[in-house]
Amino acid sequence: MVDVRRYLAQALLYVLFFLPIVWLTHLPVHRHLDEGMAELKIAVRHAGAIVGACTPVTAGVYTPLPGDKKRPEICPRKRSPLQLELIMDGETLYRATVVAPGLHHDGVASIYRRFTVPVGSHHLQLRMNDDAAVEGYAWVFEQKVDLKPAQVMVASFKEGFRLQ
Amino acid sequence: MKSLLKKGFNQVDSLFSLAFTPAWNPMYQLGAMSFFYFWIVAITGVYLFIFFETSISGAYSSIEQITFGQWYLGGVMRSFHRYASAAMGITVTLHLLREFSMDRYSGPRWFSWVSGVPLLWLLFASAIGGYWLVWDQQAQYIAILTAEWFDWLPIMVDPMASNFLNESALSDRFFSLLVFLHIGIPLALLLGMFIHIKRVTGARTNPAKGLAAGTLLAMLAISLWRPALSQAPANLDFAVTEVGLDWIFLNPYPLINSWGPGQTWGLLVGLSTFLSVLPWLPSRREKQTPVAVVDPDNCNGCGWCLADCPFEAVTMKEHDFKKGHQQSVVDPDLCVSCGICAGACPSSSPFRHVEELTTGISIPGMHIKELLSLTETKLRELEVGGAPRIMLYGCDHGSVVGGMESDSVASISMPCSALVPPAFVDYVLRQNLAEGVMISGCCEGDCFYRLGNTWMDQRFSMERMPVLRTRVPRELVRMRWLGAQGTKEQQREVTAFQQDLSANPPGGGLIDLQEVGHG
Repeated sequence: MVDVRRYLAQALLYVLFFLPIVWLTHLPVHRHLDEGMAELKIAVRHAGAIVGACTPVTAGVYTPLPGDKKRPEICPRKRSPLQLELIMDGETLYRATVVAPGLHHDGVASIYRRFTVPVGSHHLQLRMNDDAAVEGYAWVFEQKVDLKPAQVMVASFKEGFRLQ
Repeated sequence: MKSLLKKGFNQVDSLFSLAFTPAWNPMYQLGAMSFFYFWIVAITGVYLFIFFETSISGAYSSIEQITFGQWYLGGVMRSFHRYASAAMGITVTLHLLREFSMDRYSGPRWFSWVSGVPLLWLLFASAIGGYWLVWDQQAQYIAILTAEWFDWLPIMVDPMASNFLNESALSDRFFSLLVFLHIGIPLALLLGMFIHIKRVTGARTNPAKGLAAGTLLAMLAISLWRPALSQAPANLDFAVTEVGLDWIFLNPYPLINSWGPGQTWGLLVGLSTFLSVLPWLPSRREKQTPVAVVDPDNCNGCGWCLADCPFEAVTMKEHDFKKGHQQSVVDPDLCVSCGICAGACPSSSPFRHVEELTTGISIPGMHIKELLSLTETKLRELEVGGAPRIMLYGCDHGSVVGGMESDSVASISMPCSALVPPAFVDYVLRQNLAEGVMISGCCEGDCFYRLGNTWMDQRFSMERMPVLRTRVPRELVRMRWLGAQGTKEQQREVTAFQQDLSANPPGGGLIDLQEVGHG
């Protein structure tokens, strides 16, 4: 094969190598969210109530303690798990109980979930219990929402639920 | 599957060799091409970093400025950055598949294979991190899914995805972290790449200059023709509906969304684990023959075997009983039993004045005395006075020479053709056992044992010890590196060699008889 033909063959092979690369770096287009759908996200970061009550320290225990350790009461560290429920148009979309993190379960519990929901008007209800000593839901939130196509609505919690 | 892959690669190899010549064939230097693409990505990345703004509002706009404001340089740099990383993804994948199909992943090669597995993760992480920085729709899509993917792991206490709830949740510091990761992970990748080739003698990390130049030209052409562009800017208040994905690096993302993070972790970790244990899984390939053995009586400590071993399996130590001398030592964990060391040993000369030929180092499966005995026996069975007699040495991984035997052609196949000491060629011709010697093997630049045919070329052109002596007429010796796919062509080459020898018979008395030393 003469050099010119060889270089032409090389050029062809370079094209065959790089063309799929150019194509594959952006095509085919991937549809992530169907038309007529929106996204609803729950993002809650909250510390549950302490489980159990503080107990007074008896004199026999209190007296020998060093100064910086002297406390009149011993309080438990464990926190209640969060019980969360998301109901949309009467249908439960999500129900979970999230244990507080940490070796002693004394951390701040976090919940994050993303849902794909149809656009339009919906009745949202969020309920959360953050105290194991209490029956039922201490935090309840209800609102009618109107979701636009591809809209992201976030339900977060800070001294109560709120929608963004 | 493996044999099918091998067949496919052999076909592609031949095609590329035809266009590029074996020396430039990119299929024989996929590892080196991956290094080359890495350096392109690194250099262009440094340039882009100078102009990149690490903030929510600045990230996208600064990249747009680079792309359009200085399209002739910044835009080209960006396209090089993207296309070289994608090309690296392709060459790395081909490299993995090729080494698998050619059975080059087990035995002492396990280290390179296994150390390559985490490199795949680092390569993907580097590429994905780069796409985040652009902060367009694609970046938004992968940022959220990556966060959700990692949040599935029990080690994550606070959900990472909370950082991408909406526009107000995002902070500029996030981009500083991304830049740090996008520099740190590729650096870890580079370190890993050097560990990957640590046990490989003379590992090729630079492609042939012509191939590198052609690649740069091709990349320049596509960068001007189809420059890398951003998609619409990210907006966390709206979900991504349609996204143009880089399917080379971002292919797991649709799975994360449709299968869920847990299953995707299972698939990718499972695949990585499978690849990592592959070298030790039962296989139908032949069991490896025992490793090379050193005979201290015949080892003079010259170190030629050390210089030629492609896997650094040979080292030197103080000689067992010759004071002030050294001797070779073979590491059984690294030896692949190719026999290249035996071909390099100066003691492997059939001209030595010894009762029974022995050598300083040899592989038990094909000791040098067995090779000599086989050579003499086979050649003495050939018809004298007919067609020129040919001694054809071949390797078990190259053209199949067994079927080429005839009344005038004797053939011997061995693990690697570089097991044949040059002195054997001299001996065969000098003893008038044959009119010509032909050596065949793996394709040029693609030796199963990495360097066998390279060393043979150098020994025969007197660039490497032990050399083929000048007194051997070169027209009586031919080397053809045609590979397994070139068996038919090899047969034609043998016939052509015989025809040439018939047309131009060697002049009487090949060489003057003289005392021949070994080495």
